[in-house]
Amino acid sequence: MAASLLEFDRVSIHLGGREILSPTSFEVGRGEFVCIVGPSGCGKTTLLRAAAGLLKAGGGAVRHSGQPVTAPSREIAFVFQDYGRALLPWRSVSGNVALALEAAGLPREQHAARIASVLQKVGLGAHAQKFPAQLSGGMQQRVQIARCLAQTPQLLMMDEPFGALDALTRQGLQDEVARLVRDEGLTVLFVTHDLEEAIYLGDRVIMLQAHPGPGRPSLARMLPVDIPYPRDQLATKEHPRFLALRRELFAFIEHGHALA
Amino acid sequence: MSRLGSVAVLGLLIVLWWAASHGGWISRVFLPTPEATLASLEEGLRGELAGFTLATTTRMLQGWLLASLAGVALGALIGISPAARAWLLPTLEFVRPLPASALLPLAIALFGLSAGMVLAVVTFGAMWPVLLATVHGFAAVDPRLQEVSRCLQLSRGAFVFKLGLPNALPDILAGMRLSLTVSLIVSVVGEMIASQPGLGQAILLAARAFRASELFAGIVLLGLIGFASNTLLSFTERRLLRWQTL
Amino acid sequence: MRWLERLRPWIFPALLLALAEVVLRQRASDALAPPSAALKSFVGLVADGALLQATAFTLGAAALGLLVASVLGVILGVLLGLSRRAADWSELSVELLRPVPSVALIPLAMLVFGFGLRMEVAVVAFAAFWPMLLLTQAAVRQVDPRLLEVSRVLELGPWDRALKIVLPACVPRLFVALRLGVAIALVVAVTVEIAANPNGMGYAMMIAQQSLDPAQMLAWLGWIGVVGFVVNAGALALQQSVARRMGAAP
Repeated sequence: MAASLLEFDRVSIHLGGREILSPTSFEVGRGEFVCIVGPSGCGKTTLLRAAAGLLKAGGGAVRHSGQPVTAPSREIAFVFQDYGRALLPWRSVSGNVALALEAAGLPREQHAARIASVLQKVGLGAHAQKFPAQLSGGMQQRVQIARCLAQTPQLLMMDEPFGALDALTRQGLQDEVARLVRDEGLTVLFVTHDLEEAIYLGDRVIMLQAHPGPGRPSLARMLPVDIPYPRDQLATKEHPRFLALRRELFAFIEHGHALA
Repeated sequence: MSRLGSVAVLGLLIVLWWAASHGGWISRVFLPTPEATLASLEEGLRGELAGFTLATTTRMLQGWLLASLAGVALGALIGISPAARAWLLPTLEFVRPLPASALLPLAIALFGLSAGMVLAVVTFGAMWPVLLATVHGFAAVDPRLQEVSRCLQLSRGAFVFKLGLPNALPDILAGMRLSLTVSLIVSVVGEMIASQPGLGQAILLAARAFRASELFAGIVLLGLIGFASNTLLSFTERRLLRWQTL
Repeated sequence: MRWLERLRPWIFPALLLALAEVVLRQRASDALAPPSAALKSFVGLVADGALLQATAFTLGAAALGLLVASVLGVILGVLLGLSRRAADWSELSVELLRPVPSVALIPLAMLVFGFGLRMEVAVVAFAAFWPMLLLTQAAVRQVDPRLLEVSRVLELGPWDRALKIVLPACVPRLFVALRLGVAIALVVAVTVEIAANPNGMGYAMMIAQQSLDPAQMLAWLGWIGVVGFVVNAGALALQQSVARRMGAAP
């Protein structure tokens, strides 16, 4: 049996003397789109950062294709919520994407082609020479996504990537990311506080609970999202399965535990 | 319209100067007439003043360039390491308020009265604003960018050149502007007390000999050096930091 | 390890001083002396009153110069800040006069006032005037337009507007300017003493070097550093406490 792409094996994380994440176990297979939701303080961002190697697990192990994750690697791309701070303001859009190529040591001559192709995929082909300060929030986030794509990663971590954007831009980007992920065959771990977004995008939704209590896991429930692809902002959100899942998730957040 | 007004105000000041010196409101021993100053300027530039101006300017620029290079290099080394910053910054902050000219007696004790001594003090004094600015610029790299750097597995060197230095550039340029001012000041003071040929010595001698128009000519030239170097640097700064004003 | 944190700023300089002590004790010279000798000399200066006298002169000259510069600079700065036209018209003159290095005026001040307090005050005042002027002007200009709109909505008269809105809004930035002014005043005062004026700490240090008394020279150098540091730290503390009292970000 092929090792899953990402494995959390009883991972617990402590920060500042407090246990942010109690022993959590789950696996993510190749090509899966897994969404993580939960109330504030449940540790979802912490989990994501541990998956990317930005944090060390206190107990248990995070494994990527069977190998323990101890430090960040270019195979795992990370999209931050505060895109403004994650882009280099002194470089143009292509310059920012080029950073990933430079880090990977790609020869200079091959940069232009790769950058053009990646920018095309996120729809920023016409803005290659602009600077981040000249772009809207949505476009800046797309630059970040483009840079992550340029890493040719195996795993894509996204930390509430659309949280700072307005509703309309958010919807557009949701569909774009869904399409990109399918086209590129990426495996995604997606943290969001927006329950509908989680159902809309994910194959599976992992629900974390805050302050589970001693001996209880942070991971409360895993829900498969059995809604067919391709999904659509209008039709999918009226699909009976969508509404049912939505009810379950809302109840979970409200009562702090999952319905049986 | 405001350009015209600006010129008018300057003209008014010059007229006041003319009136004050001609009318004897201020003794001509202290305040030469504008024409006398101009004449001394012309005469001086055909004579020694040109050479003195060159000497002072060269001293200032040499010291400034050396200081900037050393300041950026050392600043980068200290700046990228939080440990180095923690141990060294307090000492650096102590040195910051020290007047660079205060090192002249020490330098004279060590090196004697020479051009090299002045250059050494200019360089050492002008280094601190750039060094501190560089350290600060590196320390202030957004933690998010540091994480991006880790995610991309950038080497230490790549981090310094692709993230640290560009991020610190606005601070470094501001530090270099301050350095230029220090460099001119210490050059002039150094020339005064070490009797090195240059505008500093020239104006000191002119004052001692009560030659007011020569003194003023020298002051005008020093003002021009300050003005020209600052303008050039500001211009360069604006070009390099174009991305800030987008 | 709290005590380690407290001690850490002192460890590097202590190591440097220890190194200097060891090296310089071996090689006695006319140029350098070990820190212990400098310390002994320093104690001597305190004892015979020379330290107090010179320090008082330098600080006094710096303070007076700063006072003159601040009064002139703030008044003119407020005027230029309030009147766009005045600011535009004075720009050329300011830009031409400002770059004149203050040290260039030392011989002139010497000529006019001779040696002593007035000459130093004049040079310090010239040097400190420009930052006070420009920063005050900027502070007045940068009063949050929202606050000015509020004053219009409340129909405040120009006097009320200046006293209740503009001036209080400027105060934090004025103290930032003052802090900068203090730093410049002290540096220029010491520089004038080193270059020409036979009074104060700078001069005492020059004399010590010329008398081939490296211990005393280093004592003065160290003391100048300490005074500069303390004065600047004080100005910073003042600025921050004012900012807190006035509700601005420190």
